[in-house]
Amino acid sequence: MGKEPGKILIISVITLALLITGFLLFYPVPSPPSDILKTARDSISIALKKQADRYAPELFIQAKNSYDSAIAVWKRENERFIYARNYDPAKDYARMALKFSNLASVNSVELRSELMVKARENIDSLNNLLKRINDRYISYPYPVEIRERISKGKMLLKDAEVYLAEELYREADSLTSESEKLLSSAREFADLNLTEYFKSWPLWKKWITNTIAVSKKTGAYAIIADKFSRKLLLYHRGEKIKEYSAELGSNWVGNKRTDGDKATPEGMYKIIKKLDGNNTKYHKALLLNYPNTEDAARFKREVAGGSLPASAKIGGMIEIHGAGGKGADWTDGCIALTNSEIDVIYRLVNIGTPVTIVGSIYNIDQVLN
Amino acid sequence: MKNKVFMGFATIMMVVILAGCGKVPQAQIDATNAAIEAAKAAEVNVYLPDEFAKVQDAMNAVLADVETQKSKLFKKFGDAKLKLDEVTNMANQAAAAVAAKKEEVKKEAQTLLTDIKTVIEENTKLVPRLPRGKEGAQVIEQIKADLSGVESAVAEAQGLFDKGAFLDAVNKVKSAKAKADGLNSEIKEALTKARIRF
Repeated sequence: MGKEPGKILIISVITLALLITGFLLFYPVPSPPSDILKTARDSISIALKKQADRYAPELFIQAKNSYDSAIAVWKRENERFIYARNYDPAKDYARMALKFSNLASVNSVELRSELMVKARENIDSLNNLLKRINDRYISYPYPVEIRERISKGKMLLKDAEVYLAEELYREADSLTSESEKLLSSAREFADLNLTEYFKSWPLWKKWITNTIAVSKKTGAYAIIADKFSRKLLLYHRGEKIKEYSAELGSNWVGNKRTDGDKATPEGMYKIIKKLDGNNTKYHKALLLNYPNTEDAARFKREVAGGSLPASAKIGGMIEIHGAGGKGADWTDGCIALTNSEIDVIYRLVNIGTPVTIVGSIYNIDQVLN
Repeated sequence: MKNKVFMGFATIMMVVILAGCGKVPQAQIDATNAAIEAAKAAEVNVYLPDEFAKVQDAMNAVLADVETQKSKLFKKFGDAKLKLDEVTNMANQAAAAVAAKKEEVKKEAQTLLTDIKTVIEENTKLVPRLPRGKEGAQVIEQIKADLSGVESAVAEAQGLFDKGAFLDAVNKVKSAKAKADGLNSEIKEALTKARIRF
């Protein structure tokens, strides 16, 4: 009889233990977020292969952070009693990771493709810009700083071409932007300066018309020098009969202002002396009446206005002479032809022959297009 | 009889408890992480980025497997342990391979730097012989400025090389080489046109 309570107790304990074991074995545990996290992980991996870390970095980081959060929450839940675990927040984070990584992939592919097209277009456009700079301004006397800008712009363009070939489109795009700034600023500098310079074009045109009219009226020779195209045009009886390549002062854009500025003057001049033999070191020379009345008046105004120092000298000894054919603008302001060319002109012209020097015989639109 | 029932029950409980208490292979996880960090320190992520991504993907998968096992009543980390060994091997192999890749890139950079210096030297010698052609001095000035730009790029590439940034050096010197070659062709074309021997 005394053994009954003990027996009942043992049976109860065993029953309870069996119940607990049964419960542990058969009661469903919360399902972990393994599958959704694997999908998210694969999606992040695909996004990475599509370079989303470079082309959609914000979305990619959000995807990674969401994945990390899912893992962290999962870990935290795993520390709890197995039946008290709640994996829903981890699954939510995993879904977010999946959503962000999918978006990152799509955006990356789109942006990459856009940047590739943009970089290619920019490179083409910059190569065209460089060609325009080379074609129009090859002999333009750029300041050193602008030349350096062009060189730097060219280098960046080459860098961009390398990055484009390496499929690093963001870098290529950024380099083309930098290159564009430099090359455009050089072109703008030249365009602006030329536009300013060509404001004198109506005056040049007037001089040209007058010079040709005089040649026609007198039946004599006349010379017109076009600085922009480096041409010296010989007229007879109002008709152009010959065209020569000319070389100028190295600082050829703009009118001559002072002695030593290496600029070729602009104006209506006359030949006042013919020099040959030991009288010139340039084979033969035609001395012009620079400074003429207008040059002298302008110089005086500039000195009085303070734009030139009081000590400035107006200069002189502007000639059309030989020793040219170097292909460079090398003179101190004179116009150089080859010896054989100056021989011909020297024979044809006389003291008093008009020599008109202009910036250009064409207007700015004709020059730039 | 009573004792036999009790022993049977206790055995079942022990099995359940032991099966449910498989230990997380933390030491192995730490070792694998250390191998990955070592690979990163060896710049596997820079020189062999695909391999590094594979290692990281594999590690993330193993860590997820570990959590999956931790989520179960009966935990088994045998598979995870095997996979951790695999990931450690992958990381170690990548770290070993990166040295060869780095050397390859270093050699490429060195060759490019030597080549470009030769081209620059030739260009510098040829420039004074350029004809003062139609466009003349301004063109020569621009070529000189371009050459100076190439020299700066080479100096930059050399700096990157000296710092051990071989990949960046290769990219930098590649574009400079393209530019230097372009200048070389431009100069030689002008010399040929002017019938100047070089």
